[in-house]
Amino acid sequence: MGAIEVNGLRKAFPNGVEAVAGIDLSVEPGEIFGFLGPNGAGKSTTTRMLTTLLRPTSGSARVAGLDILKQSAQVRRVIGVALQDAGLDYLATGRELLEIQARLHGLSGRTVRARAEQMLDLVGLKDAGERRVGTYSGGMRRRLDLASALIHDPQILFLDEPTAGLDPASRQSIWDEVGRMNRERGITVFLTTQYLEEADRLADRIAIIDRGTIVAEGSPEELKAGLGSDIVTVGVPADQIERAEKGLAKLEGLKEIQVHAEGLTLFVQDGSGAVARVVRLLDTAKIDVGSVTVSSPTLDEVFLHLTGSRLEGQTEEVAP
Amino acid sequence: MTTISARAERQIEWNSVRELTRSALWLAQRQVRNTLRVPAEFIPSIIFPLFFYIVQTSSLSKLAAFGHITNYKGFVLPVALLFAVTNEGAGQGMVQDIERGYFDKLLVTPASRVSIVLGAMGGNFARIAFQGLLVTVLAMAFGLHFATGLLGVVPMVLIGSLWGIAFSGIGIGVALRTGSGQATQGAQFFAFPLMLLTTTFAPRGFLSGWFDKAIAYNPVTYILEAMRAFSTKGWVFGDIAKGLIAVAILATITVSFALSSMRHRLR
Repeated sequence: MGAIEVNGLRKAFPNGVEAVAGIDLSVEPGEIFGFLGPNGAGKSTTTRMLTTLLRPTSGSARVAGLDILKQSAQVRRVIGVALQDAGLDYLATGRELLEIQARLHGLSGRTVRARAEQMLDLVGLKDAGERRVGTYSGGMRRRLDLASALIHDPQILFLDEPTAGLDPASRQSIWDEVGRMNRERGITVFLTTQYLEEADRLADRIAIIDRGTIVAEGSPEELKAGLGSDIVTVGVPADQIERAEKGLAKLEGLKEIQVHAEGLTLFVQDGSGAVARVVRLLDTAKIDVGSVTVSSPTLDEVFLHLTGSRLEGQTEEVAP
Repeated sequence: MTTISARAERQIEWNSVRELTRSALWLAQRQVRNTLRVPAEFIPSIIFPLFFYIVQTSSLSKLAAFGHITNYKGFVLPVALLFAVTNEGAGQGMVQDIERGYFDKLLVTPASRVSIVLGAMGGNFARIAFQGLLVTVLAMAFGLHFATGLLGVVPMVLIGSLWGIAFSGIGIGVALRTGSGQATQGAQFFAFPLMLLTTTFAPRGFLSGWFDKAIAYNPVTYILEAMRAFSTKGWVFGDIAKGLIAVAILATITVSFALSSMRHRLR
């Protein structure tokens, strides 16, 4: 039995927006599953349905073997959730916030105090435990949010854009923490992100969602290998792109050509071998070549190949 | 076999009720703590009714005597009390929790969603009961004599607070439905007809026409009469019972609205 099993899950909002268009997913126990997609792709909506915050329009899902609709209260006992915006009570101290969260999860007495202490220590906030949350920095809030999601020792942890808006040092600290939870406690992690580096670095497997539909699923290596090609990026002036595209169409070993504002991206079988031929063809077509680079595919290229747009540099998703 | 199963079912039900109560109490306690940390939010709710009480009793006492209101201070106090318990930002705390994402944090705990609504109302209750008691004690310091003696103070404040808590269900319901601070503030509008179309300024015998008919249908009239029984008449159980029934009806409506708003939010 998978830690998370999703079948035909769909969410349409009353305003007519179909945020999630019937997706299927399976997350194995103990794995870190990356759910990758751009703004408005349906990542947060899926997370909200799986964490019982939103009712699906149709389809079904089981979390830790429990039905999200029929056994929603039991689902909430076994999951920990840190949503996109760190949901915190600014008037409480860090310790008070963790203690009430523990109590609402049914812990009592000394266990509450001990768990709060343990969690503050775990996320490096022991010294700030008696300070009001309103005085915390963004990174400290994220870490406290993570601690509150872990206070009851959940089986499955849902993290929705856990590092959005954080500085590199805080981001690194969250990544380390999530990796450690997974390794040491065997917690299954469902991680939504739009940061490719985050998905590449943390996730055992990834699903890419675009416009409410899952377009690919597999390990980062599998997804990259799935392209079966190298990437040659050619920079040309905007007014010559069309001619360059025509000229490169006859390139030997060319699998796919994609046009963008700064030039063209070529998916070819042998990247280094193709560079000389690319330059020759562009020269013949009298194109002013700005740059030619060859690289192995990254997740961004996988994403570009599957959806026709790049993921890097986009802003945060806002659920409808 | 059947007996064991029935007993087990009863045990499960009892455990659910216990958990619901426990969660609601923790959430109410949290709200009280937050209120105490921002005194600027509740101090005006004490000053305004006190100001109203002092102005009314100092300026209109003689006029009231013409209307055969012998204990005008006792007549005005329940109105001041109702202002104290009604003019508070019910639902604003919930809007803040929604805006900051803390509300979602509560929703992903196993705590029953009913306990989240009841916790918010419970927190309001503690706050308004304290405000009511303080206003009453200060009014007594200004020379108010209770017909029921000191024993009547607590039940009178309790009835006023129960009305306050029932009324807060509207603000909480609007907060849950809209997540908007402005809309929640707008819900206070309901207080005006309820508080003004009643015996706020004069006893029923002095009112006439459509106004007299309207107040008969306003539940606040009966709540006010019940509270006045303690301060001006004595232990008039008929009046007190009518007040309690009116509060119960109002609370049923507003709590149902708040709970249906919670369901609406999670659709």
